[in-house]
Amino acid sequence: MATNPSTYALSQSSESKQRLQQRRRLFQETDWTRSDGRSFHQCRPAFLRTGATNAASGSAYAEFGVTKVIVSVFGPRESKKAMMYSGTGRLNCNVSYTTFSTPVRGQGSDHKEYSSMLHKALEGAIILETFPKTTVDVFALVLESGGGDLPVIITCASLALADAGIMMYDLVASVSVSCFGRNLVIDPTSEEEACQDGALMITCMPARNEVTQLTLTGEWTTAKINEAMELCLDACSKLAEVVRSCLKEAASG
Amino acid sequence: MAASSTSGSGRDIGGSGGGLAAGEMEVEAYRRLFPLPFYERHLLDSVRPDARPLHRARDTSIALGPVASADGSALVKIGDTTMLAAIKLEVMTPSADAPDEGSLAIEFHMPPICSPIVRPGRPAEVAPVISKQLSDVIVSSGMINLKELSLISGKAAWMAYLDIYCLNADGSLFDAALLSAISSFSHLQIPLVSLSDDGRVVAVPGDLLEDKSTPELVNKERKLLLHSIPFSLTCILHKKYILADPTAEEESIMETSITVVLDSSERLVSIYKPGGSVLAHTSTVKDCIVLTKHRMKELQNILEDSLSAMEVV
Repeated sequence: MATNPSTYALSQSSESKQRLQQRRRLFQETDWTRSDGRSFHQCRPAFLRTGATNAASGSAYAEFGVTKVIVSVFGPRESKKAMMYSGTGRLNCNVSYTTFSTPVRGQGSDHKEYSSMLHKALEGAIILETFPKTTVDVFALVLESGGGDLPVIITCASLALADAGIMMYDLVASVSVSCFGRNLVIDPTSEEEACQDGALMITCMPARNEVTQLTLTGEWTTAKINEAMELCLDACSKLAEVVRSCLKEAASG
Repeated sequence: MAASSTSGSGRDIGGSGGGLAAGEMEVEAYRRLFPLPFYERHLLDSVRPDARPLHRARDTSIALGPVASADGSALVKIGDTTMLAAIKLEVMTPSADAPDEGSLAIEFHMPPICSPIVRPGRPAEVAPVISKQLSDVIVSSGMINLKELSLISGKAAWMAYLDIYCLNADGSLFDAALLSAISSFSHLQIPLVSLSDDGRVVAVPGDLLEDKSTPELVNKERKLLLHSIPFSLTCILHKKYILADPTAEEESIMETSITVVLDSSERLVSIYKPGGSVLAHTSTVKDCIVLTKHRMKELQNILEDSLSAMEVV
């Protein structure tokens, strides 16, 4: 039953490596077109809907290009038995991927860190005092992964929390930017993420102008960081508007 | 609908609701506190709280090809129950005892998003049960001829991974999972492959097919021929009533269920009645089979419609 990669395997490895190197070279140049035809500072069209899972207190579906995510919110409900008494509410987050979320089955990373990053990104925005002694569960399932997964999960989760009627200081929106040589590319696809020099992700509450999470990886200059932050914050506030209009639409029927 | 039948009369209801007049209580509260009397009142009038007659299944829809990265996929909704199924094909070396057969690996997942009872790290008990039932039904119905998944006898064959995710669990999970499984097999497009010089099986990209220099293709057929497709219907048995296609609420209140699987030539593939407090008479089982026959016709039409809609596009 075991696959025998040396003789028979559906292999594209040598070919794809070559392509990857080609792309890497291409991305270092000052001008190139993105595979989906966007300009460097243009985000993917965001499609958001509430009410994906009716068994949950609140839920949302998000589709940003290829990336598709469902988030369900359960609670506030009884905390696990083993938990200590807590005067404030608890937030519990979990992110999982489907086996077909990546092009090759079972080769995607588990992204175990995403659960805690989602928790940290949302924690600051939720008014935990409004549901003492209980837990709110936020569960995300990535149906298809096409880049920028975590920002999409976070934005979708904040919409699901609002749908569930959990009190928040503001909606949370998240956007990432990739750095390629001299270029900044917003809302990267997984193909672009694979070749980036550096990445920056900002999660913020636009109405209060507060950042709940900022991650920075790779090679950056201070000037570039400033430029990227401006870009992200601007995109976040626009994304929050999209989320808000989706909520209004759902409320008006 | 629910309001008129419970609050209108205001007379006493037996059982656990005894002593309380239905009209004095909010319908929704009554439904939660005394679910069984609530249901039995509806059953007396041969109607269910969602306005369905007892034998009618919920609205069903099939969308083919929602997962772009998979070789075949389908999104199935039966009422609010939602299943996403996707098939990925991989090349493997066939086992020695069946050198000219491919294989199937079927897995049913219930991620924590689908229901409040599933939590991360504590998977639902029903998930492996449904997984097993699905592979039993698909293998024993003979829907797929595993020989069609063979590429080079003894050397290479397809391994089909079918993963089904429950996105919203609202009852009749097996029916929805089976429908999504057969729909994704109907949608499956087998990639064309050829043998490279060093003996590897490689995929041939679509734009190179016309190219003379491409080596000869190993496989020609892109579609899997499906023989006798299995369709199923789950019914709840309660007293003398048979409720087709139950919701999660109905399943939790009335515990005896029976699942009948028939193939497209009306042969019986499987009957599954996992215990329960109601012992089914043979006549009841026969009634369930008749209901499944009707449901099968319905599902066949829905599947054909979605397949022809895909061809037009």
